[in-house]
Amino acid sequence: MFYAQLVVNGLLQGLIVGLAALAITLVFGIGRFANAATGDAMTFGAYAALLGHGLTGSLAAAGLAAMAATAALSLGSYALVFRRLAGRSAVALLVASIGVGFAIRAGLGLGFGHGQQLFSVPLVRPIRLGEVIVNPFDLQLAAVAAVMLAAVFGLLHLTPIGRRMRAVADNRDLALVSGIRPERVMVALWLLVGAVTGIAGMMLGMKTVVSPDLGWEMLLPAFAATILGGIGSPLGALLAGLLLGVAQELSTPFVGFTYKLAISFVVLLAVLLVRPRGLFGRIEGVR
Amino acid sequence: MTTVLDIAALRGGYGEVDILDGIDLTLAEGEILTVAGTNGAGKSTLAKAIVGLLPRVAGTLRVAGRDILSLPAHARAASGIGYVPQVANVFGALSILENLQVVAGVKDRKGRIDEMFGLFPLLGERRRARAGSLSGGERQQLAFARALMARPRLMVLDEPTAALSPAKVEDAFRLIARMPALGVSTLIVEQRARQSLAISHRGCILDGGRVALQGDAATLLADERAADLYLGRH
Repeated sequence: MFYAQLVVNGLLQGLIVGLAALAITLVFGIGRFANAATGDAMTFGAYAALLGHGLTGSLAAAGLAAMAATAALSLGSYALVFRRLAGRSAVALLVASIGVGFAIRAGLGLGFGHGQQLFSVPLVRPIRLGEVIVNPFDLQLAAVAAVMLAAVFGLLHLTPIGRRMRAVADNRDLALVSGIRPERVMVALWLLVGAVTGIAGMMLGMKTVVSPDLGWEMLLPAFAATILGGIGSPLGALLAGLLLGVAQELSTPFVGFTYKLAISFVVLLAVLLVRPRGLFGRIEGVR
Repeated sequence: MTTVLDIAALRGGYGEVDILDGIDLTLAEGEILTVAGTNGAGKSTLAKAIVGLLPRVAGTLRVAGRDILSLPAHARAASGIGYVPQVANVFGALSILENLQVVAGVKDRKGRIDEMFGLFPLLGERRRARAGSLSGGERQQLAFARALMARPRLMVLDEPTAALSPAKVEDAFRLIARMPALGVSTLIVEQRARQSLAISHRGCILDGGRVALQGDAATLLADERAADLYLGRH
């Protein structure tokens, strides 16, 4: 039963990792670079949610604030930095994204200080499922994540802009000669990625404490899940995030709380060595 | 007859060196033009220059009288150019239906998709299938349907038979021969020059990034010099 409890805990952690990995894999698939600012954008979302929650006491309002503010930040980073670097190498864009991340972190430190802040969430009686204890608040967070994921996959598969985003991810040149305007797709991408990142940040902030370094530590597990799921595969990113979250929690009795993050390193190395295309990645054609 | 494509002194390439070295050619409405030549002559580069995928290009490039040289690829598509690339010519991760749905600038999209499924019944039967799972022939049909979706005036086909089995090559040429009836003028870049010229009105042979020979398809097929240097005897 002890391990069942760890699995339950890991699933929520995995949803957070999966959302972050989803944001990274969307940018990689369409924008063609690894966005290292994702973790710091999550922190931004956590602070926006903290403000929203502080003003209204509502989880929904916190989520909306996180989504709207982080989507605006995401679009701003595209307009001011990544759009201007379009056509540069993936490495140049990665380095630029590290810079954007530092700028976000520094800005949050200046604006909110470097102390830790907490969401004031009311205490509720946990739900007992046999020996397994589930916090109702965690269920609410899981529901928020599920709604977000349903919205993302619905947008990608059921709307014209989503289909065009997938088309650009699949074959950019073919998308261009099919009349698809890349600028519109990129605006939609960065808004979507910002909303996803904001929700992930809010969930992480509610599960831990909010500080300017909050999202930085999430970056490695998120990258590991992106690679494990297959770079560019949204479904793979989500499933790999869940897998990684559960693996981290299950490893805690053996490696301790401090070193459970190392599981991400191990997974990252193992995937790169054994199956570089990940669980759901495609084999890239070589001409 | 109206000129659909007018190219003059077209130069360009991927890096510093010009692969196209001053191309002059025209394509009239309802015509099929085969562009042949040896490997490295600049055939596929010419196709990319027309559709807007060549990074560096200079000269004159008009479609239906409109100068399109400065337009990006997506705007050229909107101006009436359809393109079937040699490889990676469908969105493999999308379904057949989605491949047609993503094309921009289509009026009465649903009706047009039905028209495409009428033209290519096999695609209609398998509309939910992932494009990446299709055979070479099916994939080629989808590539044509996608390129035809926006009712182009000009189709640019880059080696449309290259990835096909011999049995499917004839089907592809039969399909291309129907393009004028669909109101589409067609420029084909093709290695199977003799078969392509057989369904074309005119032909042109590139050599070293320049037009070495051009004329009526029948005249080129009978030309001894063309046969010896570029077309082969069979």
